[in-house]
Amino acid sequence: MEESRPSNIKITDSVIEYSGFTFLLIDALDSLNVDQVQYNNAVIIDGKDPDFIRQIVRRIRSSNNPEIYLKPVFILKGININDPFINRLCDGTIFSLEQIEFIIPTVEKLLTKVNDLKFTNSISFEAQMIEKTISFMYTCDVFDLEPVPYVYSGINYSYPILSVNFRQTEEYTVLDILDIAEREGIFESEYVDRVYLCSTCSNGHLTYREVCPKCGSSNSSTEDIVHHFPCGYVGPISDFKNEIDDQLDCPKCDKRLRHIGVDYDKPSVLHECKNCAHKFQDYNVKAKCLNCLTDNGVEVLKGKEIRRYKLTKKGELAAINGFVSTSKDIDEIIGTVKFDTFKTMLKYEIERLRQTEGSSNICAIHITNPSQVYSKIGSEVQKGLLKDLVRVIRSNIRSSDVISFQSSSTIILSMNEIPNRIAKRILEEIINMLKRLMSTAFKNMEVNFETNVMSLDYKLSPELHIQQLTKDFK
Amino acid sequence: MFEEIIDNYVRFLGSLTVDHFIRLFWFFIFFEFVRYFLIEFVVLNLWRLSRHLNRDIYARAREEFFFENPLISVIIPGKNEGKHIYKLINSLKEQTYNNIEIIVVDDGSDDDTPTIGRDLERAGLITLFIRNEIRGGKASAANFGLRFTKGKFIIHMDADCSYDNDAIEKIIIPFYVDKEVGGVGGNVQVRNYDETLVTSLQAIEYYDTISIGRTVTSYLGIYRIISGAFGAFRADVLDQVKGWDIGPGLDGDITVKIRKLGYKIKFEQDAICLTSVPNTFKKLTKQRLRWDKSLIRFRVRKHKDVLFPNQAFKFANFIAFVENITYNLILNFKWYFYLVDMVVNYPSMILNIIITNILLYSFTNFLKFVLYSLYRPRSHTQYSYFLIYIPALVFYFGYYLRIVRTIAYLQEFFFKLSYKDPWNPEKTSVHAKRLKL
Repeated sequence: MEESRPSNIKITDSVIEYSGFTFLLIDALDSLNVDQVQYNNAVIIDGKDPDFIRQIVRRIRSSNNPEIYLKPVFILKGININDPFINRLCDGTIFSLEQIEFIIPTVEKLLTKVNDLKFTNSISFEAQMIEKTISFMYTCDVFDLEPVPYVYSGINYSYPILSVNFRQTEEYTVLDILDIAEREGIFESEYVDRVYLCSTCSNGHLTYREVCPKCGSSNSSTEDIVHHFPCGYVGPISDFKNEIDDQLDCPKCDKRLRHIGVDYDKPSVLHECKNCAHKFQDYNVKAKCLNCLTDNGVEVLKGKEIRRYKLTKKGELAAINGFVSTSKDIDEIIGTVKFDTFKTMLKYEIERLRQTEGSSNICAIHITNPSQVYSKIGSEVQKGLLKDLVRVIRSNIRSSDVISFQSSSTIILSMNEIPNRIAKRILEEIINMLKRLMSTAFKNMEVNFETNVMSLDYKLSPELHIQQLTKDFK
Repeated sequence: MFEEIIDNYVRFLGSLTVDHFIRLFWFFIFFEFVRYFLIEFVVLNLWRLSRHLNRDIYARAREEFFFENPLISVIIPGKNEGKHIYKLINSLKEQTYNNIEIIVVDDGSDDDTPTIGRDLERAGLITLFIRNEIRGGKASAANFGLRFTKGKFIIHMDADCSYDNDAIEKIIIPFYVDKEVGGVGGNVQVRNYDETLVTSLQAIEYYDTISIGRTVTSYLGIYRIISGAFGAFRADVLDQVKGWDIGPGLDGDITVKIRKLGYKIKFEQDAICLTSVPNTFKKLTKQRLRWDKSLIRFRVRKHKDVLFPNQAFKFANFIAFVENITYNLILNFKWYFYLVDMVVNYPSMILNIIITNILLYSFTNFLKFVLYSLYRPRSHTQYSYFLIYIPALVFYFGYYLRIVRTIAYLQEFFFKLSYKDPWNPEKTSVHAKRLKL
């Protein structure tokens, strides 16, 4: 390598400098310190063994630090690697260090795109995984998340960009995360296949066996059933065998069986379990999990759809601006109702106002700098913050009024049967209390709020109310 | 015209002497009235008396049966019977005797029977569901099921039947009353008795001719057919006769085979099974042609050795056969002889003879129906429902069934048509015919 190296390439302590970029050269697993990746612009893996390459790629891409997992990764010595997992997670291949100049444009492009991204500390693990996946997709200009049939996957299909974060035994979580992301509008999807997972550990590595319906043993023998037409005797073929020759003789009428279809036939088969001696015609089918060894009846296996996902425009924006929470996260906050429920209740309130002369309001409280706020605090504290917000609001409104999260930064609440000006006053009071709370709880952090109050108008739909209420928020 | 017939008939009755009456109605007096009313009635009373006297033996037999608590295997063979099975299983789950295993044998069904059977087996409602992909006929299905039985007694049932909740108990007790009993026939009654005229007439026939008739022959020791719809057998006896042979008529055939071994065959009036009978004359004709042919095929041909003295000769079997052949076969043709006798010798009186015969038969039918109700087990319906149908019985028994029977006998005598009956697969029937089975 020394001889063939171009003169403008400098290698010091496994770091290659070329054209103003530094490349971390990894040629051994033992010496790898993943943290070093963040101090370089890209990674080059020097190795021919797919297992070795897979392990290196996995350690880089499964990091939680965007400075590490978003770094361009290349393979040196360009052997033909058929592993789809490696291929999806690497950005290119070079055959020698002389070719390093060819990957420079790719490195430049990837690093530029990484600079577009804002990173937030997402509320939940699911939100973190979604953010990580979509930011990676964005930097690589990949908009499709294809499931790849993969023998090392715990669910038999891998979404390399997302699956890399999970051990094989936990890979089923990937499907739940993708499901949540689709419900949030990050992805749209289409059906590809269906997999069946163990009812105990959700692993897809199952071995299907025909077993005795009585004792579950797969150790059995099978015999043909013979029907002798002249006398109507029906029994397994062993009944007809004699000890003298290979011919078949009827045990009922002693006649010799001569011609299948003419004087006898074989209308079915009979299985006999070698474990419990049970005789039966239909096996049970069982699926034994190779992970936890549970012997599942096929009817209890968990059927899951494997879908192809496509990043939506909303998903692309979430990749750039950061993805904070899923609706699942904010639904779990006590004292609130789901946003869909809120809309239904709003519809009934509007309907009620159509028939009475009342005055009801909806209000919105919006955090104008969510990325700043959430990126500075961990997921548990984020949840705590949202809970505190709800507690303060709840203490200022009547128990008949409802609170809901439209998103992790926008809270909508109802204030029914009070004049609009009173509602505004209450909202001002709430904001003052929230600001006081923030300033005591998070001393070094500024949280900015915007608010709006709107009287309900029975001529407008619930959707239009919410749209008008939140249209001016930043 | 009508008045003239009435006048003529009254004059005929006025001129009738005893000798003349006997000469004109000898067939009714000596055969029908004597055999099917007088003898039957006397025997019924003897049977009732014996039942009363032996009630302690019966009670002890019941105790012994319940104390021993033997496993009883129920075999239900059939093709495309899936839709009926659940109703049947339901009536079996209600039984007063519970130590039973239920084996359903599917004889090559091409409907959803396999799915239903497997589901019932999985749900634990039946013990075993077995299936032959290729139809082999009822005998082969029953034999296949027999292979899997583990019980001391075997009960053969039809899938389209349902059973009184004490039916299994009642059909097994006779085995404990008399240890020489090899098989017991249950009492088959009509479920769809009010569907059509045909089913109502058959219901009466099942009440009187079949149920009472079998009670009488059973008491006399000449009962000869254990119905396939409900029959119980000792497992060791079925093993000795090596199961069922090819049908149609396999239920009568296996009864003869058991009798030949020297075992007694009993009819148990209180073991009640309900079945659906053909609801049109066309379907009934088809069924009866099949039944009646088996008299020729099995009594006159296959088991004719019963009539001759040999090692296996049994007097009761001989009488059973002679009675059966006499009253079904010979008298059937003798009736035509009577008809010819009347037409030839008394042509001017033929109308009056017919009217008198109709009146005589109707009177006897009413008398029998009312009187026999004292000897029948409890019924699922009111007997009074059937009273309006009694007059039609003359035509049903006297003409319709007689003609069907005659056709069946002739078809079997001369053409051996039972071997072509699609009820049995052709592949087996050709062998039965060749081997004279």
